[in-house]
Amino acid sequence: MMEKQVSTGKKSRLKKAIIYVICALMAALVPLFVHSVYYLHILILIFIYIIVTSSLRTIANSGQISLGHASFMGIGAYTSAVLAKQLGWTPWITMPLGGFATMAIAILVGYPFSRLRTIYFSMVSLFFGIGMIAVNTIFSKVTGGYFGLIGIWPLFGRSKVPYYYFFLGLTLLCLLILHRLENCRIGMSLRAIDQSHEVAASVGINEAGYRVLALAVGCFVAGLAGAGYAHYNLVLSQGSFDLLASINLLVYMMVGGVGSFAGPVIGAAVLIFIPELFRGLKQFTPYVFAGVLLLVIFVMPRGFVGLPAQIKSWINRRREAKEDRVAS
Amino acid sequence: MEVAVETIVNVMMLSSIYILVALGFALVLSIMGVLNFAHGALYMISGYVCYQFATQFGINPWLALVLATVVMSIFGLFLEKFCFRPFFGDINRTIIMSIVIALVLETTVNITVGDKVRAIPDFASGMLKAGPVLVSYERLITLIVGGILLLFITLFISRTKAGQQMLAVAQDPEGAILQGIRIHRVAALAIVMGCAMAAVSGSLMGAIFQLRPFAGNHMLVKSIQVVILSGIGSIGGILAGGLIIGTLDAILPLFTSGAVSQAVGLGIIIVLLLFRPQGLFGREMS
Repeated sequence: MMEKQVSTGKKSRLKKAIIYVICALMAALVPLFVHSVYYLHILILIFIYIIVTSSLRTIANSGQISLGHASFMGIGAYTSAVLAKQLGWTPWITMPLGGFATMAIAILVGYPFSRLRTIYFSMVSLFFGIGMIAVNTIFSKVTGGYFGLIGIWPLFGRSKVPYYYFFLGLTLLCLLILHRLENCRIGMSLRAIDQSHEVAASVGINEAGYRVLALAVGCFVAGLAGAGYAHYNLVLSQGSFDLLASINLLVYMMVGGVGSFAGPVIGAAVLIFIPELFRGLKQFTPYVFAGVLLLVIFVMPRGFVGLPAQIKSWINRRREAKEDRVAS
Repeated sequence: MEVAVETIVNVMMLSSIYILVALGFALVLSIMGVLNFAHGALYMISGYVCYQFATQFGINPWLALVLATVVMSIFGLFLEKFCFRPFFGDINRTIIMSIVIALVLETTVNITVGDKVRAIPDFASGMLKAGPVLVSYERLITLIVGGILLLFITLFISRTKAGQQMLAVAQDPEGAILQGIRIHRVAALAIVMGCAMAAVSGSLMGAIFQLRPFAGNHMLVKSIQVVILSGIGSIGGILAGGLIIGTLDAILPLFTSGAVSQAVGLGIIIVLLLFRPQGLFGREMS
């Protein structure tokens, strides 16, 4: 299911690093030009979903396509929000705690779940996600249940600009962690497990351990993003973390391109931004989303990140055809 | 006593509906290799199609059921030809395609009909009285129709040539192609059967419960539960799995509230799967 684009050599790595830095700088300059509160809100949402989708890809890299990832985000969000609300702690402490709580739960369920492979893992994680929604309803006295949780402590004042820089920083930090994890020895072991767990085990890779590790790191990051979302949005509802949200995360990842680190980033950004452009269509907006998905699967088989390579090969083919015509 | 009989009828009814829907999902999954997230939406929309025939056009509900089944079968043919065949064997893109189908169907129903509560006219009204026990004819009919359809489907798969071809493709697509089986024709047959079963169960359930634009998601999750619990690639397993899930769903709400019973049911399924990672009767799938 995964395909990894191999990029070697110091030069291309430097080039990539420069591109990343330029992108980050451009993102940092945005609030100087964009004063619209609405667009800043969209950008902040994009940052949050970039984090969560990238962490989903980290987990998927180890051969575990999780269909309950939104619920892990929800665990972080609710933990942090409830701690801040009930105990009166500052969000700056409860947010990391939310991340660690999510990680603890991920490790607890990750060990038994590591018995399950491929589609069985995906579907059991889906059941886990639905079960978490049910648990949320059971404890509705604390979590608000079906009607949602309100009155969460904010991180900053009313202005969106501090939030913007906070989430930009959080995104960069999380992406850095995930990128390091993917490109070190651990990441290679994870990919080996994805390709063949039997071969990986035969060369001494602890399959269960590494899979739980990937799940723990991915869920920590997702929980952190969820906690940030809670203290930004100030209202939590079950609908943000249900099956549909998990499927949406999967779609962001696949449409962006599973094979590349930039895939989830581009996928989440485009798929959140384009429907917002057509918000005036009201209840017809899902059609726009569906249209974008159709365009991607028919035209771009490798997702958005595969587009440059596709255009390049298309141009090359045109040129060759032209030369053939000239030669004959 | 009354509760016991009612529960048994409910168990049988829910199980037969779950098995019908899950069987369609499983056929599409194992023959076409498509994880069909649109299956719940197909179930949902066939209820609305039947409703449309029965109320707007004033057709007898039974005829409306048949018409809805025919319409959904043709729709299934369309899905195979134009939506899934171009991406044959590419699981990533077929998943996105099925999500698109579900999205389009649900949005269309949501816009045209909306949240207004609709229900298909009764297929049969009244209650069956046997001593102190009261059972509605509606549920009995659902049970009987579901059971008969299931019998025919299992006979079709195990006795006819086309059914055997389906099993062969499910076991090993490449081997089946080498034996001269037309894989796309078998795939079309599988999705048409899946859609027809979804249509029958959607129409029958639409008369008992209300129609809602997003009711399909619940059924999708139920059919995934049945298929995963029984294991992919086992038709007989689905009968057992559907019976287990139907029993859990009919019995657990007797003791606790909705959310608790849902959580307990899911917990039981997850634990069963942890003991049998390939499902109760399944094999490992890559």
